[in-house]
Amino acid sequence: MIGPSRVAELDLPASGIETGAGRPAQSYWNESWERLRANRIGMIAGILILVFAVIAVMAPLFSAVLTHYQPQTIDLSATFRPPVSPHFLGTDELGRDTLTRLIWGARVTLGVALLTVAVSLTVGTAVGMLAGYYGGWLDDVLMRLVDTVLAIPAIFLFILMSILFRPTPVSLALIIASVGWGQVARLVRGEVLSVKQRDFILATRSIGARHLRLMLRHLLPNVLPVLIVAASLGVGQIILIEAALDFLGLGIQPPTASWGNMLTNAESYFFHSVWLVYFPGVMIFVTVLASNVFGNAIRDAFDPRLK
Amino acid sequence: MTQPLLEVQDLHTVFSTKEGWVKAVDGVSFELHPGETLGIVGESGCGKSVTALSIMRLQRPGVIKSGKVMFKGEDLTKATEGEMRDIRGREIAMIFQDPMTSLNPVFRTGWQVAEPLRLHHGWNAKKSLDSAINMLSRVGIPSAASRAEDYPHQFSGGMRQRVMIAMGLTTTPEVLIADEPTTALDVTIQAQILDLLRHVNREFGTATILITHNLGVVAGMCKRIVVMYAGRIVEAGPTIDVFAHPKHPYTWALLRSIPRLDADRHEPLKPIEGLPPNLVDLPSGCAFHPRCAFKVDRCSRDVPTLQAVGDTQRSACWVTQSGTELKGA
Repeated sequence: MIGPSRVAELDLPASGIETGAGRPAQSYWNESWERLRANRIGMIAGILILVFAVIAVMAPLFSAVLTHYQPQTIDLSATFRPPVSPHFLGTDELGRDTLTRLIWGARVTLGVALLTVAVSLTVGTAVGMLAGYYGGWLDDVLMRLVDTVLAIPAIFLFILMSILFRPTPVSLALIIASVGWGQVARLVRGEVLSVKQRDFILATRSIGARHLRLMLRHLLPNVLPVLIVAASLGVGQIILIEAALDFLGLGIQPPTASWGNMLTNAESYFFHSVWLVYFPGVMIFVTVLASNVFGNAIRDAFDPRLK
Repeated sequence: MTQPLLEVQDLHTVFSTKEGWVKAVDGVSFELHPGETLGIVGESGCGKSVTALSIMRLQRPGVIKSGKVMFKGEDLTKATEGEMRDIRGREIAMIFQDPMTSLNPVFRTGWQVAEPLRLHHGWNAKKSLDSAINMLSRVGIPSAASRAEDYPHQFSGGMRQRVMIAMGLTTTPEVLIADEPTTALDVTIQAQILDLLRHVNREFGTATILITHNLGVVAGMCKRIVVMYAGRIVEAGPTIDVFAHPKHPYTWALLRSIPRLDADRHEPLKPIEGLPPNLVDLPSGCAFHPRCAFKVDRCSRDVPTLQAVGDTQRSACWVTQSGTELKGA
């Protein structure tokens, strides 16, 4: 034991300067959260996404309590109703309530986006981590694979796959993720390459940590900020891709409502009932914008250098 | 002499570069006895750190070409990666130069200090954290229990180096390799950390290899020192003797270059002339001969080996091996 008097003597000058007593422990995450909270537009965007997500999750409740309609209920006596009560956002050519369909469409659209992000992030992180950590031939093989995937014109791939597999929300998510993981893998690999050069990785190796522990316990938390940014920006992109596929008739198939195929449907009645175009269009626009703004806000929050 | 705890025998570690093989460590041998503090001195790029990393087998991308690292009767250069992992952090621990970057920024310090215990003893989070807090207070971190909750960026450089030392000591290793532990710290903190290392050495009986380019650090810390130049050991012996009567011109010049407080104010500093050699293309013979004030013809022809010169020291120099004393010009 080092004697207590000795310790006290050693530490007197230091303790006065920098024990930081009274200052609460500010983790990296805490500080980032503080910065994010200070960004008002970013927070509004985040809350908006959260609200949409809640609405999507609770769609059955909303359609039962708020609109009293079901998304698939056809009412041929009430087609093309303008947006007035009881159809707050009007009805389509089959008399289906637009608001109800928007709420249920949020489920599909946001669900597809979330699943796509989850899949491409998981696969991309695993590939990028392995390539960046081990380097050498494994890096070459994996990154050439990524290059190959990213070199294929995505839209043709989507079209082909949509023809081969009947597009359901799940299969559509997997189709989009089959390309999306490549970007993530590149991003993660770059980040891992830079983090693994830092001394604490060597220090962790020097205490006898195995590779898996280094990757999952020490590298992953350090690339997490990049992943969170990629995820939040990715949601916006995927919603656009999904809407585009729906518009081409290769996405979610009617009668299941998604914002994309509602827009497709409305296209025929553009000059006749323009609100059919407005509402799904505005939803897509707002969600994508919010996702991008929120993504940028998170990036700013995580990276103090951008301030 | 007791049985050495760690014995490095004719170690060669090379790096592949575009210009060719860099012989970072070129036939280094030394031994470390239980409980002693051995100093390894030399200027930047002379192979000190690579020697240390080679002992731990962390020298990648460098390659250990030949030589042995005997630790408790086992050759570490032949050990499997799994065996090395068991040794790293449990029997041989290492402290790095820059405490500012040697801790993972995303984890609480207590958690990190406890990590070797979880890795090697399989302790749970609570038990290992308690032990880590105890160790943090033993290395002089005030209010260790609350500081263990803090993140590395909330610590000063000196405090972080204490944390690193605590992390190295949690598993009470037999060997502690301190690679320039004070270089990144300012002078007052340096003294505190050296004090701490001395205490650690005494209280835990941990044999320490202290790597530094600072002769003053070695003088106060180590009984024996090894002086390295261009990947080779040029002189070895008890610190007192080496400092009093250096038997290699490099050591001699190094000691002479230290500014003295009692010197005449107008006396110019005495640097070692010339530059450290290019490790890809070493000078023929003794690597130091182009900068040496005592060189003879043979120095540029043959590489001197480390031989006993005087009673206690060993030197790799043709001049002193033939009995010539090094005297200042």
